Amino acid sequence: MRKHKGVSYAKWGYIFILPFFVVYILFTLVPQLTTFYNAFFENYRSGLKQIGPNFVGLDNFVKLFTPDKSGNIGMLKYFGNTVILWVLGAVPQIVIALLLAVFFTSYRLNIKGQRFFKTVIYMPNLIMASAFSMLFFTLFSPVGPVNQVLLSSGLTEKAIDFLGIRISVRLLISLMNFLMWFGNTTILLMAGIQGIDQCMFEAAEIDGASSLQTFFRVTLPLLAPILVYTVITAMIGGLQMFDVPQVLTNGKGTPDRTSFTMVMYLNNYLGTSKNYGMAGAISVVLFIVSASLSLVVYRMLSKPYKN
Amino acid sequence: MKKILSLVLAVMLVFGIASAALAEEETAKVLKIYAWNDEFKGFFEKYYTVPEGFTVEWIITPSDNGGYQDKLDTDLLNGEQVDMFLAEADYIQKYADSDYTQDITAMGVTDFSNAYEYTVKAASDANGVVKGVSFQCCPSALIYRRSIAKEVLGTDDPAEVQAALDSWEKFEAVADEAKAKGYYMTASFAETYRVFSNNCTSAWVDEENNLQFDAQIEAWIAQTEKFIANEETLTAGIWDQEKNDQMFADGKTMCFFGPAWYFNFCMGNAQDPEKGCSGDWAICQGPAAHFWGGTWLMAPTGTQYADVVADIMNTFINNEEVCTALVAKEAQFSNNKAVNEKFAADPEYGSAFLGGQNDVAVFAGMTDGIKWENHTIYDQLLNEGLQTYMMEYFKGAVDKDTALANFYKHVNEKYPDIVTP
Amino acid sequence: MKNAENTKGRIMLFASRFVVYTILIFLSVLCLFSFYMMIINASRSNAELQGGFTPWFSTHLWDNLQNAWNDASINIPRGMLNSFLIAAACAVLTTYFSALTAYGVHVYDFKLKKFAFYFIMAVMMIPPQVSAVGFIQLCYQFKLTNNYIPLIVPSIAAPVVFFYMKQYLESVLPMEIVEAARIDGSNEFSTFNRIVLPIMKPAIAVQMIFAFVSSWNNYFIPALLLDKADLKTVPIMIAQLRSADYSKFDMGKVYMFIFLAILPVLVVYIILSKSIIRGATAGAVKG
Repeated sequence: MRKHKGVSYAKWGYIFILPFFVVYILFTLVPQLTTFYNAFFENYRSGLKQIGPNFVGLDNFVKLFTPDKSGNIGMLKYFGNTVILWVLGAVPQIVIALLLAVFFTSYRLNIKGQRFFKTVIYMPNLIMASAFSMLFFTLFSPVGPVNQVLLSSGLTEKAIDFLGIRISVRLLISLMNFLMWFGNTTILLMAGIQGIDQCMFEAAEIDGASSLQTFFRVTLPLLAPILVYTVITAMIGGLQMFDVPQVLTNGKGTPDRTSFTMVMYLNNYLGTSKNYGMAGAISVVLFIVSASLSLVVYRMLSKPYKN
Repeated sequence: MKKILSLVLAVMLVFGIASAALAEEETAKVLKIYAWNDEFKGFFEKYYTVPEGFTVEWIITPSDNGGYQDKLDTDLLNGEQVDMFLAEADYIQKYADSDYTQDITAMGVTDFSNAYEYTVKAASDANGVVKGVSFQCCPSALIYRRSIAKEVLGTDDPAEVQAALDSWEKFEAVADEAKAKGYYMTASFAETYRVFSNNCTSAWVDEENNLQFDAQIEAWIAQTEKFIANEETLTAGIWDQEKNDQMFADGKTMCFFGPAWYFNFCMGNAQDPEKGCSGDWAICQGPAAHFWGGTWLMAPTGTQYADVVADIMNTFINNEEVCTALVAKEAQFSNNKAVNEKFAADPEYGSAFLGGQNDVAVFAGMTDGIKWENHTIYDQLLNEGLQTYMMEYFKGAVDKDTALANFYKHVNEKYPDIVTP
Repeated sequence: MKNAENTKGRIMLFASRFVVYTILIFLSVLCLFSFYMMIINASRSNAELQGGFTPWFSTHLWDNLQNAWNDASINIPRGMLNSFLIAAACAVLTTYFSALTAYGVHVYDFKLKKFAFYFIMAVMMIPPQVSAVGFIQLCYQFKLTNNYIPLIVPSIAAPVVFFYMKQYLESVLPMEIVEAARIDGSNEFSTFNRIVLPIMKPAIAVQMIFAFVSSWNNYFIPALLLDKADLKTVPIMIAQLRSADYSKFDMGKVYMFIFLAILPVLVVYIILSKSIIRGATAGAVKG
C-alpha cells in the first residue's frame, strides 16, 4: 500500500519502535509474564513465610469459578458490578464529552469564555482520587451537608446512609468517575476535532450543510479513529476500575460487595498475602475478557469508516 | 520539543549527581529505623542522645493501605539493612513470631521488672523469647460524661460509677436506664469490640488453622444486636464524625472507651472551647480490663548495631528520667511501673479535662488485669474485617448470614491458609 | 424573505447558545463545587473539621499554610520540586516516544508491523496492578530503590498513549507530507522531528497533560521505592500527614497541602492547553 519505488524504509519502522519495546519488555512485560505464569502455581505469603510456588495446574481457575454456598460465583458477580459501574459512568461521560467538544470547536456557536470552561471541566481530574473520595465521603456521610439539607427541608425524616445503599453507592461512584473523567475525554476529542482539516468544515458550510449534518457527515467520520480510541480506552479503564470504589468503600465494595470490582478483587489477593497464584488467575481472565471485548469494539467501530 | 527534552534530561542528570553525592555521605555509621509516622521519632530526638559517630536515618512509610508493612516486609525479606523497626499491637505477632527478629536479652536488654507484663508478652514469640519492648503502655478506660452519669446513676464519682458498671450485665442494665432517660450508652457499634476481643480465651484460628469465633466475639455480636435493636447505641464507626459529634456538650452519649492518647488527642470536640464540655468527663475501668494501641520497638536479625539498639530500648523502658518526661510532658502512660506509681501517688497530679481526676492512678490500677493471650499473625485483618462486614448487618443492609459469608470471603482472599466454615 | 430567514436563524442560534451555556454552567458549577469545598476545608482548623462541615470560609487559611509549610516531617518545596521533575520527565518521554512509535507503525511497512500494533493493543488490556508487585521486586534486584529511574523510564512505553497517537495520525497525517519531505531530501528522523511533531502538537499537548497529572498524583509505586526524605514526592508527603500520630494529626494541614498540590498542575494544564488549538494541520497541508 505504502510501498515506495526502490528505497525501502522498513528499517526505520524497526528503529522507531525499538525504544518502546525495549523499555516495555524490561520494566513491564517481565513482571506481567511472571504473574501470568504464577496462575498455575500455589504461591503466597503467610505472614513473613513464603508458601510455594507449587505447581497446581488449573486449580486456581477452578477455585475462581467455583460457586459459593449460596450458588454465586464471585468472579461473575464482580464482573457484573464492574460493568454496571462502568456503564453508569462512561455512557454519560462519552456523550457529554462529545457534545462539549463539538460546542467548543463550533464556529457558529462561538462560545465565549472557552478558556474558563475548558479549565474548569478538567479540574476534577487534577485532584487525587483519594482526596476526591474523601470530599464525597464527608459530603454524603449521615451527618454531612447533603443529609443536613435533606433533613432541614423535610424531604427525609431520618438521615440517609448513602454509603450503605446499593444504588446510591453505585451512583456516587459513577458520578465521581464521570466528574473526574469527562473533562479528560472532552479534551481528547477536542484535540481530535482540531486536527481535522479546516477545509472540510468550510466546504460543508459552503454546501449549506446544517450543524447536525456537518456533525454526522463530516465531524463524526473524520473523528472516528479518536472516537474508537475513546470508547476502547473508556472500556478498558472501566474494566480496570479500582481507585474510586476502593477509596470510597474502604476496599470493601459495600454494601454486600455490590460495588466490588474485578481489580479490587485482584488487589485483595495481592495486598496482604502477595497471592501470586490467585492474582495471576484473575489477571488471565481479566486479560481474556478485555482483549476480546476490545477486539469486537475495534472491529465494529473501525470498519464502517474505512473505505 | 527537543529543547524541552534536553532541558529535562539535563535537570535529571544534575539530580542524579546530587543523589550520588548524597550516597557518598553514608560512609558514617547510619542507624536505620523504620516507622509509619513521626511519633516515636519526636520522643527519640528529644530524649535520646545518639552515640558519637552515629547518625539515624528514619525510613518513614505511611501505613495507608498496608504501605508500612509492605515496605518493611520487602526490606526484611530482601535482606536490606534494618536496625530497628516499630510495630503495633494488631500485627506485632507477625514479626515477633518470625525468624526476622531476634532475642533482645542476648543484645543486653534484660531488665523487664518495671515493664508491664502484657507489653513483654506481646513482643515475645511462641517460646517466650523477647524480641522487642514498648515505650508506652495503653490500658484503655471507660470514659464517661459526668453530667449524664449523674442523671442516670445519681453519681459521677468514679468509684461509684465503676461499681455500677463493672460487669457486662450491669453495663447493659445501665444502658436500659440511660435509654429511658433519653441517652445513648455508646456512639459506635464497635465501641465495645476491643473490650471483648482483648479478653478472648481462644485464638482466631485453631491448630489446624480453622477459623473460630471466641465466646467473647459472639458476646460482642449479641450485645451490639441488642443495643441496636433498643437504640442504645449509634451505628457509626469508631472514627466516624457521627460518633465524634456526640462528644460536644449537646451530645447524648454516656460512654466512650479509650486510653490516655484517646481522650488527650482524639476528643477534640469535647475540648472545643465553645461547643465542648471539658471537665465534664471522668474515667473508670469499666466492665473488663483491656488495652488499645501501643507501639513496640523491635530488633530485626539484620541489625548492624545491636548495642545501640539495646541502649535505645533500655532508655525507653528503664531510664527513670526519660519515662518521667514521657508522663509529665507527653501525656503518655509510660511502660515503667515505678515512674507511673510516682504520679499515681501524687495528690497534685490530675487532668483538667477529667475534672481534676488523676488518670495515671486509674490506669495504674487497671494494668494487672490486661491479658495478652491467644494472638495470631492474622489478628489485624480478622478484627478489622469482622467489624467492617458486621457493620453492614448492624446497619441493616444485609442479613447476618450474608455478612458472615462476606467476612469469610474476605478472609479467604487475604489469608489463603485459613480454613473458613 | 431573506430577512425572515435571517431572523429565524438568529433565534435558532440564540436558542442553541442558551442551551449550550446552561449545560456548560451547570457542569462548571459541579466541578467548581468540589474545589470550593477543598478551599473551605483548607481554611478550617482541625477542631472545626472534626466538628462537621459548614459551607463558609473560616479563618485558619494562613495558620494551616504556615503549619503545613513548617511541618518538620515534610518539606513541601522539595516535594513539589521532586514531583515536578519526575512528572515533567514522564510527560516529555511518554509523548515523544509514543509519537515516535506510533509514527513508526503508521508510516512504514515492515514485517512485524501488524504484530507490533496488536501486541501493544493487547498489553493495553492488562491492568497495572498485575505487574506492580513484580516490578517492585525487579527494582530491588537491580538496586533501583531511592532512584527516579524506575519512576521515569518506564513511561517511554505507554500503550495507551501510543494508541492515541496512532489514531491521531490516522485522522490527521496525509502521506503526501511525508513523501514531500522525502523528495526534499529530508532524513526520516528529522522528518518526524521537524514536520510530523508540529502537526501532532494538539495530541502531544493533551497527552502531556494527562501524563503529567497521573505522574504527579502517583502514590503506590513511589511510596514503596522512595524512602529517603529528600527524594519523596507530594502524594507520599500527603499520606504522611494523613497518617501522622494523634498528637500531631491535623486535617487542616492535609487539606491545605492537597490544595497546594493542585496549583502547579493547574498551571501546567493552562500552559499546555493553549497548544490544543485549531489550525496546526491546515497550515501544514496547504504548505
